[in-house]
Amino acid sequence: MLMRARGSRRPWFLVVPALALVVVFFVLPYANLLVMSFFMPGKAEPYDAIPTLGNYTSALGDSFQWWILWRTLKLGFLTTLFTLVLGYPLAYNLARAGSKVKGMLLVLLLSPLLVGVVIRSFGWMVLLADNGLINSLVKHWGLAPHGLKLMYNEFGVLVGTVHIYLPFMVLSLSGALQNIPPDLELASRSLGASFIQAFWRIVFPLSLPGVFAGCLLVFVLAVSSYVIPVLLGGFQVITTPLLVVQTAVDVHNWPGAAAQAVILFAASLACIGLYFKLMNRAMRGLSP
Amino acid sequence: MRHRRLARAAFLALIALLYVFLIAPIVIVVVASLNAGRFLVFPPEGLSLQWYVKFMNSGPFVRSFFFSLRLAALTTVITTVIGTAAALYVVRHARRNNALRMLLVAPLQLPGIMTSLALLIFYYAIGLGGTSYLGLLIGHVVVCMPYVFLTVAAVLYNFDRSLEEAARSLGAGSVTAFRRITLPIIKGGVIAGAVFSFITSFDQFPISLLLSGVGTTTLPIQVFDYLRFSFDPTAAAVGTVNILITLGVVIMTERLVGLESLYVGGRQ
Repeated sequence: MLMRARGSRRPWFLVVPALALVVVFFVLPYANLLVMSFFMPGKAEPYDAIPTLGNYTSALGDSFQWWILWRTLKLGFLTTLFTLVLGYPLAYNLARAGSKVKGMLLVLLLSPLLVGVVIRSFGWMVLLADNGLINSLVKHWGLAPHGLKLMYNEFGVLVGTVHIYLPFMVLSLSGALQNIPPDLELASRSLGASFIQAFWRIVFPLSLPGVFAGCLLVFVLAVSSYVIPVLLGGFQVITTPLLVVQTAVDVHNWPGAAAQAVILFAASLACIGLYFKLMNRAMRGLSP
Repeated sequence: MRHRRLARAAFLALIALLYVFLIAPIVIVVVASLNAGRFLVFPPEGLSLQWYVKFMNSGPFVRSFFFSLRLAALTTVITTVIGTAAALYVVRHARRNNALRMLLVAPLQLPGIMTSLALLIFYYAIGLGGTSYLGLLIGHVVVCMPYVFLTVAAVLYNFDRSLEEAARSLGAGSVTAFRRITLPIIKGGVIAGAVFSFITSFDQFPISLLLSGVGTTTLPIQVFDYLRFSFDPTAAAVGTVNILITLGVVIMTERLVGLESLYVGGRQ
């Protein structure tokens, strides 16, 4: 009986719809995108079936596109850095909170995730615009008579991306921090270490796997964000995802857009590879 | 000792400030929707419901609102069924098949805007046309299904299979055993997955951006189109209604299964 229940007659039909969906409408489209990046852009059709490397040579030979890619990666890096610095105290507090408080903190932390990115960006627009709330306060108190430029520049984009990705960082850090027994910290304190020493020598090194995972997640999400750069950058801060969409939708050059997307993926992969190398060295440096 | 207490107070103040940062834009949207003026300024200009009236009277906003609700509902039904089925198979019959599991959650790993572009080009290549309702629906299903799969799989991992086997050995058919034993136990995961799926579809932006067309404009796209070229507080009213719907869904979930299942399920 048990043998039959666990037997080889697997009900594969259960997984077929989901698997077929992902293969046909996810794997195939990406494969198609990759293939398309090696075809000529067409005149009447979106592409001609003539193989070429032209999309890559023209994208890689364009200094403007290099500059945009550089800015995209820079913004991704800064977003990661700021979410780490701001997320660490939040995660530490969350991991050490009692279970009652923790539930409430989680609701506060997760609720921004449940509100769409367009609405959240709009909230920032109300706050950061030239005649927004912050500038109205600044002018009211006479701090800066001409107001501050808080939006439609890289600063505005950064505020938006840090806000959006902060919860992801906190969740991944608090997962790691939760696994560190508080006794370790207490033991080092009772042996005479200051709070700062206990933190740097015990807690932080042990939380590195969470730091590692959180940074990776936030970087990958941040370099591909689209809504924030458009709404809070106001087309003043062009990033590669914006360029890809513009090339595809406005210029109707699908192969060109596909090549730009592939280059962005390759560049992020290169950054991640470098990051793995550095992180490995950091981890090795810690072990005795 | 005083020194330490001061440090602790400073730390808690920092934490409070960071939570303010997290919640601020959401609270601001609600406040702006009730504001009389076009811009939220200090000192405030008074209360008004004019932006809600403008929202109700705006054909495009109302149409896209109901369109988004229908699309999210249909997406949720489809993803809940196929995501749950896939989770049942993977946890029970292919536990060690990492490739299969990774493939099923792959849509969460790649950026939505790129998936959207890939789908747009793919639809054109297979003759579905760039912006059909079916294409949009499939796009939503692709990016929402992994949530159901993950939440149901998380619950199933801790499921004691012998309960179901006991029911079977006592004479229950496989359908009865599933309906009477398995389903009640995994209910929390299924509902949590459905909630995630609904919210993800209702708030979906990148997939809809490239795949929605005339007559298939979703609410986030409609709001985005307004905000892209001008600053219109009607968006605040739309946003507040959006926030209230999300809140309603979450509270309903809390009543039905408790919020922990959302967190536990979602973290997996």
